[in-house]
Amino acid sequence: MRKISILFLSILFLILADANAQGTAPMYTTVIKGGRVIDAKNNINDLLDVAIKNGKIAKVGKNIDPSLAEQIVNATGMYVTPGLIDVHAHVFWGVQPDHYLSNGNVGVTADGFSFRSGVTTLVDCGGAGYKSFDTFKRNIIDKSQTRVLSFLNIVGEGMRGGEYEQDVSDMDVKLAAKAAIDNKEYVVGFKLAHFTNPDWTPVKKIVAAGNLANMPVIIDFGGGKLPIEDLFFKYLRPGDIYTHVFTELERRDPIVDLQTRTLRPFVIPAQKRGIVFDVGFGGGSFNFNQAIPAIKAGFLPDLLGTDLHTGSMNGAMKDQLNVLSIHLAMGMDIPAVIARSTWAPAKAIKRLELGHLSEGAIADIAILSVRQGKFGFRDIAGNRQEGTQKLECEMTLKDGKVMYDLNAIASNRVKGK
Amino acid sequence: MKRISFLLLYSLLFLSSFIQAQTKTYSILIKGGHVIDAKNNINEKMDVAIKDGKIAAIAKNIDPALASQLVTADGMYVTPGLIDLHAHVFAGTDDRGLSGGFSALAPDPYTFRAGVTTVVDCGGAGWASFDKFKSTIIDKSRTRVLSFLNIVGEGMRGDPYEQDMNDMDAQKTAEKALANKDIVVGFKLAHFGAASWVPVEKIVAAGKLANMPVIIDFGAGKLPIEDLFFKYLRPGDIFTHVFTELEIRDPIVDLKTRKLRPFVIPAQKRGIIFDVGFGGGSFNFNQAIPAIKAGFLPNTMGTDLHTGSMNGAMKDQLNVLSIFLSMGMDIPSVISRSTWAPAQAIKREDLGNLSVGAGADVAILSVRNGKFGFRDIAGNRNEGKQKFECEMTLRAGKIVYDLNAIASNPEKSR
Repeated sequence: MRKISILFLSILFLILADANAQGTAPMYTTVIKGGRVIDAKNNINDLLDVAIKNGKIAKVGKNIDPSLAEQIVNATGMYVTPGLIDVHAHVFWGVQPDHYLSNGNVGVTADGFSFRSGVTTLVDCGGAGYKSFDTFKRNIIDKSQTRVLSFLNIVGEGMRGGEYEQDVSDMDVKLAAKAAIDNKEYVVGFKLAHFTNPDWTPVKKIVAAGNLANMPVIIDFGGGKLPIEDLFFKYLRPGDIYTHVFTELERRDPIVDLQTRTLRPFVIPAQKRGIVFDVGFGGGSFNFNQAIPAIKAGFLPDLLGTDLHTGSMNGAMKDQLNVLSIHLAMGMDIPAVIARSTWAPAKAIKRLELGHLSEGAIADIAILSVRQGKFGFRDIAGNRQEGTQKLECEMTLKDGKVMYDLNAIASNRVKGK
Repeated sequence: MKRISFLLLYSLLFLSSFIQAQTKTYSILIKGGHVIDAKNNINEKMDVAIKDGKIAAIAKNIDPALASQLVTADGMYVTPGLIDLHAHVFAGTDDRGLSGGFSALAPDPYTFRAGVTTVVDCGGAGWASFDKFKSTIIDKSRTRVLSFLNIVGEGMRGDPYEQDMNDMDAQKTAEKALANKDIVVGFKLAHFGAASWVPVEKIVAAGKLANMPVIIDFGAGKLPIEDLFFKYLRPGDIFTHVFTELEIRDPIVDLKTRKLRPFVIPAQKRGIIFDVGFGGGSFNFNQAIPAIKAGFLPNTMGTDLHTGSMNGAMKDQLNVLSIFLSMGMDIPSVISRSTWAPAQAIKREDLGNLSVGAGADVAILSVRNGKFGFRDIAGNRNEGKQKFECEMTLRAGKIVYDLNAIASNPEKSR
C-alpha cells in the first residue's frame, strides 16, 4: 500500500511538475522569435529562436514555443547576434581639467553609446594606467551597466596626453603587469599610444608587460615613422593587436603604399603570422584611400573597434554600427562584419565566454535591422562613400535583460501565468 | 564681327575670373529643404544661407555658386536648432546624483545627433554648485548649455538635500542667477516630498527677484495642482512632467473618468507653460492621449534626459517628438514646441528662430515613414507611422553632425 501511494505521489508530482512547466511557471524569461541568428563561433547563420533564462542563453533552436516564455521579442526580419564588443573605446570620462582620455572630458560615458548600438562590452583602450586604474574602476567600471574592460596603458598615468605619454620613465613593466594581474577580471591587455619618437623602447616595454601577464598588447603606432614591418615581425607576438590600421597620416607608416596605392606585401603575411588588425576609426584614423585598396587586395581587418571619444562621436565615426555599415559600404557582408565585432574581439581579448550564443553563455545579445536605402558615409579626410545598407539597433540585452528597445518590440512580461 | 566676338570673349573671361576670385558670399547654403520657423511663420520650401555663424539669407532659390559649402536638404525639414529645456547635464564623478554625479550626462553626445543645439539643465546646480557646473560642463561643451538654477543651494543632490527648506535661499539664488544671467534662465523646484507650499513660495520669490520664470516638478504631498496653477505660479511659470501618472502626484487627467480636468486648459490660457519632461518616470499615454484628444497640447517638449531615461522609453529629443506625432500632433506643432516655444519660455528670443541675423543654430531632419513602436514609462505601447531622424545639426554656423554626409566639401582656396 505504501509503495503504491509513493508511486501515486510520484506520478502526481510529475504531472504537477509538467503542468507547472507547461502552463504556470514559464520556462524562459525571454524568447526572441523569428530572427536570423549570426553566431560566428558556432557557425550559425540561420532563422532560429533564442531562449533566455537566468541571464544565460538557455536554447537556440527552431520554433521554440512562445508560451514557454514570460516575454516574447518579435525579431522577424531582423538579425540576432551576440552583443557587440568594441575593443577600442575611450570611456574613462571625468571632469579633471586637462586629463584628456584619462578621467578627462574627451572620453565619453559607456552606457550612452553602447546599448543603442548593440554593444554590450567595451574595452577602454588605454585611458587608465596602473596609477589610475582604481579610479577608473570606481568611477566608471563599477557604475556602468555596460561591461567595461580595460587595456591598461603602459604609461602609469594613462592617456593624459602631451608629455605624460612621452615619458618612457613612467612606463613600468612590472607595476603595469602587476596591476593587470591583480585586476584580471577587467584588464585584458596593455595599450601603447601616441608615442612620437623613433625609439623602440616603449614597444619593448609593453611586450615585456604582455609577457609577464600573459596578455596581448594593442599598439597605436604613434609617430617616429618607424617601419610597421619591423613592428609586425620583430617586436609583436602573434595575438598582439595593431590598431588604426587604415590610417593615412604623415607621421605613420601606412599599410597601403601612398604611391602605388597597393597593399604592401608584408601585411597579409603579418596577419597570417597572427598580428590582429583593428580599425580604431576615431577622429583621425580611417581613410577610404587605405581601406578600399586593402580590402580589394583581400585584406580584411580582424576587429572593428570604434575609437569612440568626443572627437569621433559626432564626426565620421559616430558609433559601432556606423563603423560596421561603412565596411558594408566597402563590400564586406553582414556575417563578416558581425563576426569581427563579436567572436573575433572576444578571442582577441581572450574572453571566450563572450561574443557567442552557445547554450549556457551569458545572454548578451544585439538585435539589428538592416535598413535599405541610399546612405552616405565619410572618412576622416572628408571623402565620401555611398552605401545601400545601414545597420540599426532594434534591441540590446545584457545578461538577459532588455537594456534598449528602439521600437518596443518586446511584449510586456507575463509573470507566473 | 571678329572684333565683337573677341570683345565678348574677353568680357566673358573677365566676368568669370571676377566671379571665381571673389570671396564667396556665404559659408554654407542649405538647399531644397522645407523650412519650419514658427516665429517667422514660415512653413515652406526655402533655401537658408549662413555667413559668419549667422543666418544671412532665407529665400527661394539662392544661387549655390555664392556658397563655399553646399548642403543638399531635398525632402528634409530645416528648422531652428532644437531647444531642450529639460535636460540633466551636470555630469560628474562624485556621488552627487544629478548635481555633478553619474545620473547626469555630459551634453554633446546626446544633443547634436538629435538636432538639439541648446539644452537647459533643469535644476542640477544650485547657487552653491553653479560655479563648478560652469567650469566643468558649460564652458567645456559645444552645445549651448543654460541653467534653471535649483532653489536648493546644493542643487539636485538627492535626499536629504532636496528636502532641506533651510537650503532654499531665495535671495542668494536670485543673486547667483542675476550674476550669471547669460546662462541662468530661471529656477527649478523638484522632488520635494512634504505637503507644504513653502518651497513653491520661495522659488516664486526668487523668480520675482530675478524677473525669471520658475519650473516646477511638483514632487509629492499630493497638493492640488489647481492651486499651484492659480494661486502660486505666475503666467510664464512652467509646470513640468505634465503627463505623469504617479501615485504621489495630482494628475491632469482624472484617473476615474479619464477626462482632462476642467481647470487645465484655463490654466494654460492663464499663461502656465506645460512641459513634457518625459524622463524615466514621467510620461504616460493614459494621461497624454486623453489630454490631447480634449484639445490640450503641451507647450514645450522637454526630454528630462538623464542616465535613467536615455536608453528607456524616452531615448532622445527626436524620439519624444516622434511619440507626439504618433499621438496625432503634426510636424509644425512639434517643431514649434521644441524651438520657438521654449525660446520664449526661457526668454531667450534670440534663439529658436531662423530670422536673418539670428545665430545659425539649425537642425535638418528627415521624417522616416514606416511602422514604429513607442512606449511610455508604464510599458504601454503606441504605434506610429512617422519618425524623425536627424540628418544634420549646425551650431553657430558650423556643421557639428552630418549623418549621411550630405554636405559638400568646403571650397578652401579663396
